[in-house]
Amino acid sequence: MQEFINVFQDRRGQLLETIWEHLQISLLSLVIAIIIAVPLGLILTRYPRVAEPIIGISAVMQTIPSLAVLAFLIPFLGIGKVPAIIALTAYGLLPILRNSYTGIIGVDPALKEAAVGMGMNSFKRLSKVELPIAMPVIMAGIRTSMVLIVGTTTIAALIGAGGLGELILLGIDRGADINLILLGAIPAALLAIILDLILRGFERISKRAGFKSFVAMLLIAVLVVTSPFIFNSSQRADLIIGGKLGSEPAILANMYKLLIEEDTDLNVELETGLGKTSFVFSALDKGSIDIYPEFTGTAIVTLMEEEAESNDAKEVYEQAKTGMDKRYDMALLQPMAFNNTYAVATTEELADQYNLEAIGDLQAVEDEVTAGFTLEFNDRYDGYVGMQDVYNLDISNIRTMEPGIRQDALANGKVDIIDAYATDSYMVELNLVTLDDPENLFPPYQGAPLLRNETMEEYPELKDILNQLGGKITDEQMRQMNYEVDYEDRSPKEVAEEFLQDEGLLDN
Amino acid sequence: MIEFDKVKKIYPDGTEAIREFSLKVQAGEIVTLIGPSGCGKTTAMKMVNRLIEPTAGDIYINEKKVNSYNIHELRWNIGYVLQEIALFPHMTIGENISVVPEMKKWKGKKVKKRIDELLEMVGLDPTTYQKRMPRELSGGQQQRIGVVRALAADPDIILMDEPFSALDPISREQLQTDIKTLQKEIKKTILFVTHDMDEAMALGDRVCLMKDGEIVQLDTPQQLILNPKTEFVKNFIGERKSPWQTAVDVICDQLSSHVLTKEAFEQGNFDQNATYIVTDRNNMFEGVVSMGAIKPETLTLENDLPLYKAAALIQQHDNQHLFPVIKQGKLIGVLSNKKIVEYLRSKTTLENGVIQ
Repeated sequence: MQEFINVFQDRRGQLLETIWEHLQISLLSLVIAIIIAVPLGLILTRYPRVAEPIIGISAVMQTIPSLAVLAFLIPFLGIGKVPAIIALTAYGLLPILRNSYTGIIGVDPALKEAAVGMGMNSFKRLSKVELPIAMPVIMAGIRTSMVLIVGTTTIAALIGAGGLGELILLGIDRGADINLILLGAIPAALLAIILDLILRGFERISKRAGFKSFVAMLLIAVLVVTSPFIFNSSQRADLIIGGKLGSEPAILANMYKLLIEEDTDLNVELETGLGKTSFVFSALDKGSIDIYPEFTGTAIVTLMEEEAESNDAKEVYEQAKTGMDKRYDMALLQPMAFNNTYAVATTEELADQYNLEAIGDLQAVEDEVTAGFTLEFNDRYDGYVGMQDVYNLDISNIRTMEPGIRQDALANGKVDIIDAYATDSYMVELNLVTLDDPENLFPPYQGAPLLRNETMEEYPELKDILNQLGGKITDEQMRQMNYEVDYEDRSPKEVAEEFLQDEGLLDN
Repeated sequence: MIEFDKVKKIYPDGTEAIREFSLKVQAGEIVTLIGPSGCGKTTAMKMVNRLIEPTAGDIYINEKKVNSYNIHELRWNIGYVLQEIALFPHMTIGENISVVPEMKKWKGKKVKKRIDELLEMVGLDPTTYQKRMPRELSGGQQQRIGVVRALAADPDIILMDEPFSALDPISREQLQTDIKTLQKEIKKTILFVTHDMDEAMALGDRVCLMKDGEIVQLDTPQQLILNPKTEFVKNFIGERKSPWQTAVDVICDQLSSHVLTKEAFEQGNFDQNATYIVTDRNNMFEGVVSMGAIKPETLTLENDLPLYKAAALIQQHDNQHLFPVIKQGKLIGVLSNKKIVEYLRSKTTLENGVIQ
């Protein structure tokens, strides 16, 4: 508890900002969903024949996981608040649409006949009779949708939209840091409850005031939510540096920013914590971001969909550089020294107990150990698929899990071996040992700045600036910096600045 | 005035709801439409305010085709009372009543005055009831508001679609009485759909009995009972619950020897010991003569009074034996105890020794 209070106090500023962002994104999505779904529902009641198919389509949208919708939208809309709001809107449509339709359809036919018989036109009938009577049902739909949207908005942090998801994702990434997760999750829940209360209060008022107040509510909500957008329409920065989720990309992105700002007058912004490789790469491809640190191995295997032709770091870099240039018209600048490759890791005790030194040693105990692998690792040739092939392994118990929680699973004894990244901070914290890879199954993963050739042409000076990091930062240094961010809670910027100053790349 | 001219209605699925329907409802008249379910009575009524469009033929209101009116204005000027009552549940009683006046853009003051006036007309205190919600009222009270709502903008024509069938027997009867009293005052042209023969007889100036989309007989209630055109009419009327609900004009003696003209009375040309009913030249009721003199207080019976009510009144007047049956001042016939006994006897059948 004390720990939680400490975390709360440390991050009060960030908390307020993320709550506001969260509110903004969810409310705007909700309002757009209402603006689309309520009238659509009303129109459908006049054309009941097409109603079921359309409601069916919106039900299908609901079944697509929100993460998938976000990933799908990046190539078209890039990253940030806009695609997040579109995905969340699509997500919130169904309950409102369905309830608006059933609410109006469910109005007693005798009342409709009375309204028509008394000489009301279609609009009058809707506004004076059908809408007020269906209001409780419609509001129930809006409230369901609101809870859905507020909950799902946490995922929007993965594409750089901000919100309380930032805290939750950060918590997960830091080995399921329960305090950080709660710091994001509790306000999200409270936000849903408070909004629900507001909506319920509004419902009570609108019972009497009817249609007009409904429109008034929408207008107020739109104004409240969009005013920051209207007053805050600042220019896009010259360069936006992105990064995947985690401390290492954040530190590197900060270094890029510091170096660029040191040598040029360019206006640089950071957009880190963008989730997985596919998200960040789509964002770069689309131009939402301009630079991000990528690994040579990932470029070859994931982006170019090739296999590494060699296990020599230099040759791998050359292959990645040429491939990215040809296939995507992108430049991969000089890599840094550290090799954040995959490694199979376990604790010292287990290594002693099972007599494990190299990956091949696992064969003897393949029926006894439980492995905790990330989904990605489990599915890649330079991962478990290759391990099966090259080392002839068939581990009977494999649990797949998020990268952030597998070290905890290992520390708690839930699993015996995990896949790890060589420079991850928990290697230090948990005192883990890595198993040797004599067959060189895992290709080198060296970090290097990736940017579009177009950006290179616009700012040719970037090449020399970013190449200053080429060959710098050893495994040890990277691991230490990650440790400082993850476990000592220093900011990535501070750590990056300190390193650059020590290296003499930055004036004090 | 409402006129149906050779109206037909065939639904897209081929059902012939109305075959050939011609009917003229005079201004200030109540015509009740009755018949077995599916006979087209409701369809016929709903064509007047164009809730249903006829397939062929024309309907006229005040000699103008209904289609030539603006549809909304047409409906504002036709009161509509539904079987389901259908008061808007989210509006107060006052708001429910003011729907049509407001659409007709009446001034606020005028609407308010009208609400008070109408509520008083149906015996509900305006200050208490105006702000109530429909659910706070009993079924009978609700339908009273339903009727009042139809009357709100003072339309000439009122359509009533089985308005009292959802009510309990006591409220139903009370509302029927109310409508009769009200009609004397407001003189609206009313088309009234019902499936209850007693109601049709009690309320209708004329009853229009329908079957399979056609009119079988259109007549006054008495004629329907006395001269049924077909076996169907006879059977349909025979479905009445009890002879005690028959109106007195059906039972009374219309050719009584106990009727005396005013002239004959003034000339003293009659039996001094007998009792006579005196009428003037236009058959308007003048009084009852007993023992050679006009009795000061006599009981007269309204023509549509059901027998059981008449019997109660008769019991209270021991010293009177002949009862004039009157419709709007006109003598229709004379009711005597003997006639009542005869009528009841004729309506009683024995089946296997059990009185039906």
